[in-house]
Amino acid sequence: MNNIIWVKIDNGNYYYLLTKLNDIGITLYDNKKFKDYLLIKVSLKDYERIQKYLVSYNTSIYDLTGFNKIKIYMKKYIIFLLASIISIFILFLANNIIFKIDIKTNNYDIQNLVLEALKNNGIKTLSLKMPHNKIEKIVANILDKNKDTLEWLEIEYDGLIMNVYVTEKNIPKEEDNYNYCHIVAKTDAKISNMNIYRGVALKEINDYVNKGDIILSGDISFNNEVKNQVCAQGEIYGEVWYKVKVTVPFNEYYIEYTGKKRYNFNVKINDDKYYILRSRIKNKKLEETNLYKLNDFEINFVKEKEYVNKIRKLTEEQAYDKAFNLAIEKIKLQLDENEDILVKKVLKKEVNDSTIYLEVFIVAKENIGEIKVIEEELNNDANNSQNSI
Amino acid sequence: MKNLHFSEYFKDFLYDLNDFITIYENNLHVFNYTKLNKLSADEIVITINNKKILIKGNNLKIKQMTKQELLINGLILKVEFIYDE
Repeated sequence: MNNIIWVKIDNGNYYYLLTKLNDIGITLYDNKKFKDYLLIKVSLKDYERIQKYLVSYNTSIYDLTGFNKIKIYMKKYIIFLLASIISIFILFLANNIIFKIDIKTNNYDIQNLVLEALKNNGIKTLSLKMPHNKIEKIVANILDKNKDTLEWLEIEYDGLIMNVYVTEKNIPKEEDNYNYCHIVAKTDAKISNMNIYRGVALKEINDYVNKGDIILSGDISFNNEVKNQVCAQGEIYGEVWYKVKVTVPFNEYYIEYTGKKRYNFNVKINDDKYYILRSRIKNKKLEETNLYKLNDFEINFVKEKEYVNKIRKLTEEQAYDKAFNLAIEKIKLQLDENEDILVKKVLKKEVNDSTIYLEVFIVAKENIGEIKVIEEELNNDANNSQNSI
Repeated sequence: MKNLHFSEYFKDFLYDLNDFITIYENNLHVFNYTKLNKLSADEIVITINNKKILIKGNNLKIKQMTKQELLINGLILKVEFIYDE
């Protein structure tokens, strides 16, 4: 590669100088004439010749071209270049390394099983992320090897975290394996509905039962003689009565937003939060938006909304409605989706200066059956059978 | 290894002449000159194949220069042979 450079020659007669250059056999690629100096484009080798033969002229390298120029720039900006390369490398690592494997299951054994299986397939913390098709193969391989334990497995990346969603195989519940059990009432109620899968019903629909009464028996009898003992199974729904007492004050406290907002940032390390700016709002509600997260380190954008505490006076009607709804909510909280409130009625109402007191009668349809496992009788039977042998 | 000088062969093939002068726009291209005898803003004298050639013009400048070729830039007025008496 020719090292072509621009050479500056001071205070020379243009025509005389060019004749001189021609005499010493210099190859001139370009030249620019200025008032006080002349720029000539020559090779580095020719520049050495100029320095040797034209000693009376003041010459210096003005600029470099091609690779030499790049080399000079690289020397000048070496720190910036190195920092850029290292930053790109770190960014590449940060985007392609798994910092945490989060297995979405509460079962500790399954967590260990999946972690071990992933490790055997080359996936562990601080390893490189794998492409989608390879992940699919690994998932299929793990599911195939653990078909008795795992039903479904899915892997997806969330930034630096690898989320592993696991569904374990549905193993029959333990109570299904009981040999002998009854279904008894867990509370006083009136039976409204029965779905019997196994066992003998000792009560009928519309019967009243007390807590602990056997509703479905595990004894299979014939002619008043117990022929077999099973674990009774079924769903028993009944009407359960509640008397709920609620007191509501006429003064209701609430918060009102003033519309004033401030923006801030916080850094969260483990459970400690450090705010970047000092907050000037006394009563505020914070809304955080996560900007960056790496394991237990977080940077959040925080919106602070100012509010003031206020009091309003409820009318008797408003306080009554609030107390009535509170009573219903109280019962609803303990009901499942198949259960419901059938009757709600106010039994007593007392209005004082500052409060209202309600007694509400509520009838709810609930699952009132619970399994009662009988172990002693089984043992007795076993002893009897041994004696008879 | 023997140097084949492909570029030189190619140039000879294209030009097919030992020396020549080409004029286009404000440029004058001299190929295979022997010597640059005189150089000024109005006059340039060069020797080609033992013949002196005078180039007259205004604001003449050497744009590019090698041992064989010259590229002269400026307002070219006249190109003529000089015969020594």
